[in-house]
Amino acid sequence: MSSSPPRVRPGVSVPDLLVALGITVIGVLLLVGTLSIPFGINAVVGPRVFPLIVGSGTLLLGLIMTALTLRGDRAEPSAEEDTDPDAPVDLSSPGVILGGFLLGSVLLAPLGFVIGTAIMYFSVAFAFGERRYGLMALVSLIVALVTYVVFTRGLGLTLPAGLLKGIL
Amino acid sequence: MDALHSLMAGFGTALSPLNLLWALIGVTLGTLVGVLPGIGPALTVALLLPVTAKLPPVGAFIMFAGIYYGGMFGGSTTSILLNTPGESASIITALEGNKMARKGRAAAALATAAIGSFIAGTIGTVLLTFFAPAIADVAVQIPPSAKFALIMLAFVTISATFGGSPLRGLISLFFGLSIGLIGTDLQSGQARFTLGRPELLDGIDFITVVIGLFAIGETLYVASRYRKTQDVIKLEGGASMTRQDWRRSWGPWLRGTALGFPFGAIPAGGAEIPTFLSYTLEKRLSKHPEEFGKGAIEGVAGPEAANNASAAGVLVPLLTLGLPTSATAAILLAAFQQYGLQPGPLLFLTNGDLVWGLIASLYIGNVMLLLLNLPLAPIWARLLLIPRPFLYAGILVFSTVGVYSLNNSVFDLFLLALFGVIGYGMRRFDFPVTPAIIGVVLGPTAETFFRTALQQSNGDFTIFLRSPLTVFILFIVLLALVVPPVLRARARRMATPA
Repeated sequence: MSSSPPRVRPGVSVPDLLVALGITVIGVLLLVGTLSIPFGINAVVGPRVFPLIVGSGTLLLGLIMTALTLRGDRAEPSAEEDTDPDAPVDLSSPGVILGGFLLGSVLLAPLGFVIGTAIMYFSVAFAFGERRYGLMALVSLIVALVTYVVFTRGLGLTLPAGLLKGIL
Repeated sequence: MDALHSLMAGFGTALSPLNLLWALIGVTLGTLVGVLPGIGPALTVALLLPVTAKLPPVGAFIMFAGIYYGGMFGGSTTSILLNTPGESASIITALEGNKMARKGRAAAALATAAIGSFIAGTIGTVLLTFFAPAIADVAVQIPPSAKFALIMLAFVTISATFGGSPLRGLISLFFGLSIGLIGTDLQSGQARFTLGRPELLDGIDFITVVIGLFAIGETLYVASRYRKTQDVIKLEGGASMTRQDWRRSWGPWLRGTALGFPFGAIPAGGAEIPTFLSYTLEKRLSKHPEEFGKGAIEGVAGPEAANNASAAGVLVPLLTLGLPTSATAAILLAAFQQYGLQPGPLLFLTNGDLVWGLIASLYIGNVMLLLLNLPLAPIWARLLLIPRPFLYAGILVFSTVGVYSLNNSVFDLFLLALFGVIGYGMRRFDFPVTPAIIGVVLGPTAETFFRTALQQSNGDFTIFLRSPLTVFILFIVLLALVVPPVLRARARRMATPA
């Protein structure tokens, strides 16, 4: 790692570099966190040894990746079912999904499982380009309701009823 | 034969009406979820774990067996009818099978995949029946230091030896290991990396990690570069083959099985390599090499058989050593642990009825899958026509139920979102997900063996050099880490003359 200071060439990808530096920082944080673990009592191998190995390994791998990225390495986004490798990357759709998911999670306990998951369902359908709002609302509620009934009645799990308490 | 005797007892367990029902539900759900785009076998098992939560262990594992094989099966339908593979082991099926389907031979492609999977799955299960108890007998005597070395071998081969970039695989592995550290250390009772949150004292449930990285990560990633036009091939009638298809398929099925099973049974990075090897082999042996790449039936039959035989092979190290060699196997291992069972050589002694019931139900599940898939192929094919906005929304809701029902805690849902974002990043920056899953599930076990070995030697690290078996395995670990990069560097030097 102590070779000549890496020169930033035009080929360096900034997002890749941020990821590499992020991994290095996580390695450092793991090592710092390891130091705050108390020593076990009369244990030959305490609770610190294994975290120390994992933290050092992460730090080392992060440094190697940083060095390689500075020499021009970059990642190839993976191809999945339903993705178009040539499509322009649109970060607003995942943003909508994430926002809807967090909103639904927060409202899950006060408003109930059905309404919480219906919000999630609706936001994913919206993010994937569906615009028939009436249909989306209907399907969201049906899916959420059926899931609720199957898991609480059929499989005996407890899920919050919320607003629909007493009705369901 | 001792194994035969035990197997008969296993069939006694598996053939009870209730357990047959669980097997049928398992294969049906497994195929159904496995067909859906964006859901591979690993995620199928993880999503369906809560469904089995209330079953007794034997029923649950019989259902898992069905889900496991069913999920593999469903995946091939997707790759043939929709030209994008969900996982690396299906790349070949997608390549050759989709070309066949485009030429109007979808029915034959699906049939050779289904029958090939049946033959490979059955032969693989026979091999499992006779190998597993023999290996378990030997494995009982392995010391903790060698068990630790074996886990190291699995870590290195899965993350570094195979796949595109060893560095990215290892980073993924260490990410999983770090997640596995979170929570109370069971040996000393000390909290580690809990950031003061009481919710983290019990550690992060692997289901949250798996569903976050696979389902949420996949949904976010697909949404960011979504292909609006779907190119699904219509299927008329059931899956069937002509006499000539049979003649061209049986050889590839058997050769694919022979390649797939051993690769599944050793910790060598899953089904990807044997499917590629089988494809190359069939191309070389074929009388019609010109058809390869344009829709040759041998190119579907061989790799699909290899894929399924390796799925059976994966169960050998899982059941006998407690060593998962694929993401799906890691989830099965964690499922065993949730029932308080530790897969490994002792499982055959302590829970023989369960293990043999599971093995017997693999035979039954294979027959069910064949009967279910040949006539029902058109129905599975219609699942691919579900409009994507509604499909991915449904996947997200099911993921939420699966994670929320673990502890009824919204905190877990926030963790799920976090792992979803990480899963997005792993796809965007080309980090494989499997090593992370293996790290989460196997990391704590690795630490236990590591510490047990050192405790036995009073902290003397040379314990790892004292048993010849341990030294031998660690030597292979070193080779697996060093040799591939050296070979790659050499190939590069030859390609670019200095």
